[in-house]
Amino acid sequence: MPDDKTIHLKIKRQDQPDGKSYWEEFELPRKPRANVISCLMDIQMHPITREGKEVTPVVWECNCLEEVCGACTMVINGKVRQACTALVDALPQPIVLEPMSKFPLVRDLHVDRSRMFENLKKVKAWIHIDGTYDIGEGPVIPEKQRAKAYLLSECMTCGCCLEACPQFAKDNDFMGASTFSQVRLFNMHPTGAMEQEERLDAIMGEGGIADCGNAQVCVEVCPKKIPLTESIAEIGRETTLQLLKNLFLK
Amino acid sequence: MSSISKGQVHFFLLKMHSLTGLIPIGLFLTFHLLINSLRTVGVLPYQWSIDLINNLPFLIWIEVLFIYIPLLFHSFMGFYITKVAKTNALRYRYPRNWMYVLQRLTGAIVFVFLVYHLGTTVAPKLWFGHHLFEAAPFLIDVMNQEFATWTGRIIYLIGILSATFHFANGLWGFCMSWGIIIGPRAQRNASIVFILFGGALTVLGLATVLEFSLHPVDVEPSFKGAP
Repeated sequence: MPDDKTIHLKIKRQDQPDGKSYWEEFELPRKPRANVISCLMDIQMHPITREGKEVTPVVWECNCLEEVCGACTMVINGKVRQACTALVDALPQPIVLEPMSKFPLVRDLHVDRSRMFENLKKVKAWIHIDGTYDIGEGPVIPEKQRAKAYLLSECMTCGCCLEACPQFAKDNDFMGASTFSQVRLFNMHPTGAMEQEERLDAIMGEGGIADCGNAQVCVEVCPKKIPLTESIAEIGRETTLQLLKNLFLK
Repeated sequence: MSSISKGQVHFFLLKMHSLTGLIPIGLFLTFHLLINSLRTVGVLPYQWSIDLINNLPFLIWIEVLFIYIPLLFHSFMGFYITKVAKTNALRYRYPRNWMYVLQRLTGAIVFVFLVYHLGTTVAPKLWFGHHLFEAAPFLIDVMNQEFATWTGRIIYLIGILSATFHFANGLWGFCMSWGIIIGPRAQRNASIVFILFGGALTVLGLATVLEFSLHPVDVEPSFKGAP
């Protein structure tokens, strides 16, 4: 039984993308200020289950270890979050680790989140600095607008909002909150606004903004506290105006 | 004029789903509950309102174009939207996520209720033919029968509650989808306003149910010989 001296982990594992999943339990000596990543590192060093069976080390992704990269996103005790900021002292045991369910699985806790990157490309989530010619300096941005944009720019494409979204699924094209919020961010920028119409066109189709069901779980689970539902409503307004433009002005 | 893509049609249909929920369906629901609650004011105003509505010119066209077609479209799209949903409110227990589930559930309930409601009111009218038909005495008699039993009362209570919730919460969704409310405070304020509005509609509906349940009435045709 887990006590003050041990940590009990229950991990959902899968050897291949199309393989069968299974559960394995591990018991580790408790270290002060441990987080889920440090536990996974301990397992990597001694991959021995609770029953004493030696197994392959658990595969997971991590990078920054300070909740700004999003790589270690997984489902911890039933809710999606980053493993690096999941402190063992604050978690009830056993600590249950599962991979995100809405992305193609690579192995164990490692998933392929490239769908998010593809969506960012579809909406041109960048600002053109120069074309074939120098387009010059951008206009000055008011401080209030900069502060607002900064909040949105904190998105690390971790996938929490999509994992928790009831509209987002493996078998559909829904882009989800993070993409819409990035559309808002780049439309907000005076230079980025030059491609506003192309960005809006990209989300006014299948899987676009109209597919949002307003369950608003995205904003609840966002680790960076990005005002995602405000972004969704703002993008709702921008696409509505674009629709009216398309219908009456073109 | 560029050609229209499948994606644009998809977007437009979802936008129209949102709009038809308000105009004309939501507006119809509001007037329907309001006019029916004339029953609580008196039998005569209620009877006259039925006479007036059933003698509107081009009634069948008004009904088909502004009620049946939008309603079928809204229902069809609604079932498509519900089919796509992967509800997770048991895992992520937030109020809005419950509303998301309830919105889909009440939509389905209202659909089933409307099949029943139209079956007992409109279907006989179409079946028997308008010339043989005296709207007010017939409909009031139907309602007397519906509200004579607890089964009928409960069916209508569930139907009315589902419809008012679906409309009030749908109004909030409409405001999000069309970008009428943006910030978190605006969203919260709007939900308070729509809760009050939905509550008022529910009161209208329940008052009518109560009046029919407590005081069933028999009425004569308002004008002898006239349909």
